[in-house]
Amino acid sequence: MKRLLLAMAGFAAGLLVSGGLSGQIAIAAGAKTVEVKGEIIDTWCYLSGVMGGTDAVVGSAHHTCALWCAAGGIPVGVRADDGTVYMVLKIKGEDPLALSDTILELQSDSIVANGQHYVRDGVNYLVVANVVSNDGITNRNHEDFGVVPGFAIPEKK
Amino acid sequence: MNMKLIVVLLTAASSLALTTAIVAAEDFSKDSKANTFGLSGEQKAMFSGKVVDILCELSGDCPVNCGDGNRNLGIVRAPDNALVVVSKNAQFEFNGAVDDLLPYCNKSVDVDGLLIGEDPGVKAKVYMVQFIRLSGETDWNKAELWTKAWKKRNTDAAGEGPWYRRDPRVAKQIEKEGYLGNV
Repeated sequence: MKRLLLAMAGFAAGLLVSGGLSGQIAIAAGAKTVEVKGEIIDTWCYLSGVMGGTDAVVGSAHHTCALWCAAGGIPVGVRADDGTVYMVLKIKGEDPLALSDTILELQSDSIVANGQHYVRDGVNYLVVANVVSNDGITNRNHEDFGVVPGFAIPEKK
Repeated sequence: MNMKLIVVLLTAASSLALTTAIVAAEDFSKDSKANTFGLSGEQKAMFSGKVVDILCELSGDCPVNCGDGNRNLGIVRAPDNALVVVSKNAQFEFNGAVDDLLPYCNKSVDVDGLLIGEDPGVKAKVYMVQFIRLSGETDWNKAELWTKAWKKRNTDAAGEGPWYRRDPRVAKQIEKEGYLGNV
């Protein structure tokens, strides 16, 4: 019985430690310096499915809508090659809604960026210090999906 | 290890496990009047919390007035201290929520809207705010300030039609690289 109680107490202590650590992570883990390779995306359409599946709301197919959403103040993100989505909180020293052209010029591009990575409550955040390389739009998915949404390119009068 | 310590550890661990389970299962849909759209992982959600500049909350880099409209804003949800990214307001024209949240910078509010997203590892799903009010007030304000704010910022935007067809920055980018980008 004493052995069983000791084992349970050991488990309990472990749970307390891990619970305590999780609590710290939930409040705010310190930033880590990272390098991320991926595509600049419009996070709302990507996460909400409002315009279709995740393969359709990235790349060339969704480029115009992504410009609209970025100009509309919807958070821009980076979808890393491993599928992780980072919310971009600053880019090359600029605040993301500062009405500069930087964020629009990068929209839908395949980039490598470095900066500070924060995690809180399961959400990844990125403060982009530098865009190390930019290959432009490499995801030519309009060949598969057309333009998303369909009205993004206005009809010729 | 004495028996008293064992009992204390077991009791504390049980409480922690119970609390964790309660937080994980928190449902904010009670009393929500939010409109639904069938979005991914959509959940109606009405809750209270404090409007914050997200970068300030994470890093301590805190400009005045939550960045004055230049920063992404969120809400630290009161019941579970989760930092919720508010991505969208109630309008249907590609509009974010910063203009609707900024008047409440660092204040306590009640909000009603939708939590979005399918990732089970995310405690704080992104949020579409549809209604907002200062905590303690009775009347709700519809979260639809963006378009008016855009008009003030772009008094010389040419042409007719919705803002996204006339926005000078968007127009400049499309002029430069076309609707599909530089492919």
